[in-house]
Amino acid sequence: MKYLIEKFGKINTSVLFLCIIFLILELIGHRHGETSIEDVLFFPAFFGYVSCIVIFKIGVSLRSFLMKDEDYYDK
Amino acid sequence: MISSFPPGLIMMIGALLIPFLPHIIRQIYMMVLILVSAYALTLGFGIHSKIDVMDIEFIIFQSDSLTLPFAIIFHIAAILNVIYGAHEKHWNQHVAIMSYSGAAIAAVHAGDLFTLFIWWEATAFTSVFLILASKTERSYKSAFRYILIQVGSGMFLLAGAILLMSENGSAEFRNFDINSLYGQLIFIAFGIKAAFPLLNGWLQDSYPEASEIGTVALSTFTTKLAIFCFAKSFAGTEILIIIGAIMTFYPIFFAVIENDLRRVLTYSLNNQLGFMIVAIGIGTELAINGAVAHAFAHILYKGLLFMGMGAVLYRVGTCKASELGGLFKFMPITAICTIIGAISISAFPLFSGFVAKSLIMSALGKEGLVFVYFMLLFASAGVLHHSGIKIPFFAFFAHESGIKTKEAPLNMIIAMIMASTLCIFIGVFPSYFYQILPYQIQYQPYDFSHVVGQLQLLTFAAFAFICLWHFKIYPPELNSTVLNSDWIYRKMIPGVLLPLLNLINNINKKIEQLIVFMFMYIRKFFANTMIKNKVFDREVGQDTLIVVQLFIIILIFIFVWKIYL
Repeated sequence: MKYLIEKFGKINTSVLFLCIIFLILELIGHRHGETSIEDVLFFPAFFGYVSCIVIFKIGVSLRSFLMKDEDYYDK
Repeated sequence: MISSFPPGLIMMIGALLIPFLPHIIRQIYMMVLILVSAYALTLGFGIHSKIDVMDIEFIIFQSDSLTLPFAIIFHIAAILNVIYGAHEKHWNQHVAIMSYSGAAIAAVHAGDLFTLFIWWEATAFTSVFLILASKTERSYKSAFRYILIQVGSGMFLLAGAILLMSENGSAEFRNFDINSLYGQLIFIAFGIKAAFPLLNGWLQDSYPEASEIGTVALSTFTTKLAIFCFAKSFAGTEILIIIGAIMTFYPIFFAVIENDLRRVLTYSLNNQLGFMIVAIGIGTELAINGAVAHAFAHILYKGLLFMGMGAVLYRVGTCKASELGGLFKFMPITAICTIIGAISISAFPLFSGFVAKSLIMSALGKEGLVFVYFMLLFASAGVLHHSGIKIPFFAFFAHESGIKTKEAPLNMIIAMIMASTLCIFIGVFPSYFYQILPYQIQYQPYDFSHVVGQLQLLTFAAFAFICLWHFKIYPPELNSTVLNSDWIYRKMIPGVLLPLLNLINNINKKIEQLIVFMFMYIRKFFANTMIKNKVFDREVGQDTLIVVQLFIIILIFIFVWKIYL
């Protein structure tokens, strides 16, 4: 625990623990989604993690052609 | 007298007195105006006021179950705006905000399209002063583009209203058919104000250029008025589901790379409008309730986020992520309120975003729109990324920027605390909130599946961000301009048109030179041949004329002989 906090920081470790708690909660109760695909075990967790990475990746790749100088429109 | 006055009109008329009042009295006066306007909401549903002008009936005050929630939240937002802007001593922004809020409230109560058109344009002409209030060259240029587009949207509305009037003899503000020409014109008018894809450039262009008070007001009224109009006129129009889904999706990527945090919020605003548009497109009672609930909650949490960033801008003078960081220790209350706004927009349970967004997601699930459902679920993770984490993190934490400042003014803090309280209240007591929605439905957002599913989605999305940041994969924020759809009319059209105009100009010049050359040649011919040889002199003129006439007669004779003989 101490190692995690030192390495990862207090807030980050707390988020990690929350993630674990919400996974355990799913094992205790019965979760079902609005669609049948969501009923797969830990689906929202997986979807949230992957979505965030995909958004980041696409965002970074868009930088090369969407990002211009700050005074682009003033030239 | 007051009962026949449409809500909002009293605020517009009353705003004219604001410049003549001392500061403190002005603030109280504005509050009184809003409360007097709100009194008209107690009159119940129905048509309360009409005017006949030139045999055209203007329904200036009409209320129903859809107008009520919008009228309530517009009045609440107006109060929050007055409190938030109380530190501003000059009257100009107060007049603009009061008349702008009044125009939007009056527009919601319009019963016909001509009345709506008047208030529609009034919102444009009053709100532009909030952009001009920044007094920078960029804001002047942006305000010019803003007013052109807003007035343009009004022209589409007017054209649609005239066509409707000529076809039906009435321009009643009701449900319209998208397949009719007037329906399409009205649809475009609403679509411009709702910042549809490719029509959204004005939003990201103008809102971040407004003053710190102005952006809070702007984020409330214009786009939500468009949402109200869509809910009233195009509920159940299927194309809205596709448009809305695109709106939720693509602004996320722009928000991720944008450096100006107020501009990030405008992309986020666009994304949130997408959720509402999808719900209106579905058109069921649950979905319309979802759209209205989302608009209501969104005004509060987006206003709160803009307030937080406005306070930072007011104190520090910039909202650029690349220049901010570590402000938590100087502005803790602003930071906490901004975090509450961020948690609300991310739709964490016990906050307003959750109870509003759940309605839309459930409506999608019930209709079996699986693909759109997952697009919106993906967008929800995106909202957490750019509004839930990026905004508070880069402003108040991230790296140490070295900026030393102090907490926001008291009035700003009060407004932020009030908005935060409302965000939490709605989240904790959703049943009170659901009572003001257009349709009475039984819906329970807090069940095990909803809560656990949402918490997993959000915490793991947050954990992904943490990993990216901690392992230094997340690139640094850079001072930059991110291209958006306004590029089309700011760069592309001038880029294509200018060379084309130059080409036309060059061709014109060549033709002119050719004509001049021909005239010069003819002149020279006359000078050398005719005049020099005294062809037109009187003495020889008669003989020459006789010869020429004879020659012509012979020519005609030959011509006729060749053809007919």
